[in-house]
Amino acid sequence: MARPKKPRHPLHVVRIAVQLAFFTLFLTLLVLTALGTPVAARPWLAQLFLITDPLVLVGMALAGAFTAALLAGLVVVALSLLAPRAYCGWICPLGTTMDIVDKLLFRKRDRSANVGPRLRQVKYGLLVALLVLAVFRLGVFGWFDPVCIATRSYGVALYPIADHAVKAGLVAAEESGLRSAGRAYDWAARARLFIRDTDFKKGDTHVAYLWSFVFTALLVGIVLAQSYQKRFWCRNLCPLGALLGLLGSASPLRPRVSQKCIACGACRNRCKTGAFQPKANDKPYASVVQECVFCYACERDFCPVDAIHIGAGSPTPVRPEPQACPGRRAFLGAAATSAILGPALLLDQRTRQKDETNPMLRPPGALQPDAEFQATCIRCGACMRACPTSALHPSGVENGIGGLWTPTFVFNIGYCDYYCNVRKEDVESGRLDRPANLCGIVCPTGAIGKLTHPQKIARKIGTAVFDKSRCLPWARGEECLTCEEQCPLGEKAISHETEEVANLDWLKMPQPKRNRYEELDAKRRGGATLTADEKAELAAMPPKTRKLGLPYVLRDRCTGCGTCENVCPVDGAGGIRVERLQTRDVK
Amino acid sequence: MSNPLKRRGFLKGAGAALVAGVALPGCSPGPEGGVKFRARPHPMAEQWKHRLGLAQGGDDPGQRVRVAIEKLCGAEGVRTFLKPGDGVVIKPNIGWAQVPEMGATVDPAVVSTLVQLCREAGAKTVKVFDNTVGTSSKCYEFSGIEKAAKAAGAEVFLCAPHRFLMLKFDDPRAKRVAEWPIYEDALTADVFINVACAKVHNHPQVKVTLCMKNLMGVQGGDRGKMHQDISQNLADLNVMIRPTLNILDATRVMIAGGPSGGRRDQIVAGRTLVCGTSAVTVDCWGADPKNLPWPKGHHDLAAVGCIALGAAAGLGVADPSQIEVSA
Repeated sequence: MARPKKPRHPLHVVRIAVQLAFFTLFLTLLVLTALGTPVAARPWLAQLFLITDPLVLVGMALAGAFTAALLAGLVVVALSLLAPRAYCGWICPLGTTMDIVDKLLFRKRDRSANVGPRLRQVKYGLLVALLVLAVFRLGVFGWFDPVCIATRSYGVALYPIADHAVKAGLVAAEESGLRSAGRAYDWAARARLFIRDTDFKKGDTHVAYLWSFVFTALLVGIVLAQSYQKRFWCRNLCPLGALLGLLGSASPLRPRVSQKCIACGACRNRCKTGAFQPKANDKPYASVVQECVFCYACERDFCPVDAIHIGAGSPTPVRPEPQACPGRRAFLGAAATSAILGPALLLDQRTRQKDETNPMLRPPGALQPDAEFQATCIRCGACMRACPTSALHPSGVENGIGGLWTPTFVFNIGYCDYYCNVRKEDVESGRLDRPANLCGIVCPTGAIGKLTHPQKIARKIGTAVFDKSRCLPWARGEECLTCEEQCPLGEKAISHETEEVANLDWLKMPQPKRNRYEELDAKRRGGATLTADEKAELAAMPPKTRKLGLPYVLRDRCTGCGTCENVCPVDGAGGIRVERLQTRDVK
Repeated sequence: MSNPLKRRGFLKGAGAALVAGVALPGCSPGPEGGVKFRARPHPMAEQWKHRLGLAQGGDDPGQRVRVAIEKLCGAEGVRTFLKPGDGVVIKPNIGWAQVPEMGATVDPAVVSTLVQLCREAGAKTVKVFDNTVGTSSKCYEFSGIEKAAKAAGAEVFLCAPHRFLMLKFDDPRAKRVAEWPIYEDALTADVFINVACAKVHNHPQVKVTLCMKNLMGVQGGDRGKMHQDISQNLADLNVMIRPTLNILDATRVMIAGGPSGGRRDQIVAGRTLVCGTSAVTVDCWGADPKNLPWPKGHHDLAAVGCIALGAAAGLGVADPSQIEVSA
């Protein structure tokens, strides 16, 4: 196997540098998004990788939810017309993740037995199926789009893990006497690098997101599938890769194999996306332009006889080229499958939403009705990462199986912050005309609209409702009113009336004593004068009733921000909970 | 293939890391002598239980701090209770994400002046913090207190969840609360200054939130659970946490929508600052509708439940006629 080491192709080196640069940019922007304010003035920073994603562009256009920002995707479209999957090899954060892990874990692994092209047509079927679902107004392609996968996995899964690890490390170091660790903790907390800062109710900030484990596992699965094939995901499953490959099918720029080829199979075995295959066991090998990610490894690294050249000129490619795409029948089959699944998903969505016990709490500014939101949301999780109180979480299937991983509020964990993206100087000057909801600011597709502070406060998420069987004053005769205290509205949406209620201390007295109390009390009420002994006896017993503040929701004021539910001291389901916005309430 | 020495080396390293991980936290020193509140009371605390220093009028909240402390302590001011080298904690109300004009938090000039006074008197460190109710970083920013206190030379930090220590409420006068997590820095300070602002409160037993309730800002845990029998709970808290100095900043008085606020029309000018060695006495003066512009008919003094309970525990005075005000 020992071959003299040739210097790498210059573009190979450049590619690695560019890849690492884009990956660093991706992670940096993710942290900036977590910090909130830095991206508020330049939302495109938070959206950059998603709005330049051509699958998002095409999917949104098909769903009739196109916005001008998505035109940024044309840059990548133009790149792909020239160099089909260069995006995958040079820019895609998921691709770079795979390359890094491959270098770390599988560098010496011989996977040449697995290089067959069998599975690679699956991605075209997936692309067609997802785009047909987009026509049915279901943005579910975000489940499979690699940029969405990276945004979700890094932002909503790995960031919390890193957050937890860093916090735990700093805390342990501080507790073993390292002062600077404590100062580092304070600095990071103040800079809002940590997820949430404090939690009024539980005092514990080690919070991740619902589904974080699944997003972690999916990413781990994607990178570890490389033990079978390099870039297994990109070769076989990636719908964006399929789209970019198709876009660039006619590109003159491609790997070209000359007659010098000795059919040794090195390129077939080592190309990370399997872009080379023999033509009926005959030489020369041929390249599949739709699969090439332009990594520039083949020219110098693989080919022992310098038979490969990536470029636009000679050697003339072998004709006919190997077929990358499935035939027309397979495309139609995938489309037809989706044409059945699409209506089924829509009906499922409607049926589940008919169940009004499910709260369906969408971020402020979310498109309405919810079907519109589900058409436009690409399930990327950017809003969840941006939410300053970690109140937004990926939903399960309660809003429709197709609604999996769309954002929903979990008010037991966080709440919709009254001054989410409002600065001190905005309040002081009264100029509240900037977008105030970070979820809407970072949303790449406009599924969550940007709202100014007054708009956000006027917009209902839901309505708080007391559960009188759990609320402390109502259910147990205990004082509370924590919800009213913390309602952030200038004119609070929770108020109370002080009323005479049963005194539980009286009820705790044994029956004979209660009877005696009733007897003395009746006597007093009847106008009879009690003896001094009787007066003392009555005074020694707790009164039968006591005054207690009983809280009420003033429904027209409530915005459904969930602060009350978040701070309710009742363990388990709160005594006050935000429920679905009833359509008959909408102003 | 695999090198056994390497594996052994790895296992050794992992073992050492495990031992360190288990042992190190066990070595953590913690506060000496168990978890207790250690700030010194004012040397005259017993004799001055009924005394208050008052400053009214003017447009400079900072000047009112200087005047009120001098009225209480004499020309020596903070030096009557602060020794050079002391660690000072100032616990202002930073509880809500509101700008100073909304009156939901202590005026930043009050805090910065206090920081200056303490530093001039030779304090080694001055720490300013509050376990806020709203989103902490926002509260620190909006209130203007973080910026002002830092500029005056204080350490300002958010409360970190791992730095709360369980304080046993083992004083027999603490009747209802058995234990509660309290922020470590509040427990270990030499001098603790409690700075509240004057606001109405929605709770029928609280009515107004002043110095006694402001101490909830050193508590961790689920503070919503303080709200059941809140008067007794607050009295218990004040039995255990005895600030060296208590200040009520009534630069503004919130007359509706409290304690969170957020509307300018719920604020009236108070131009008052009062301080004393007893939080109960300060609250007794501050809650009195004769002294601050509380809304008519909102409450009488007896309605503020924690004051009488605090006085019953011997913490201060609940009878306005016994209060001696130096103005």
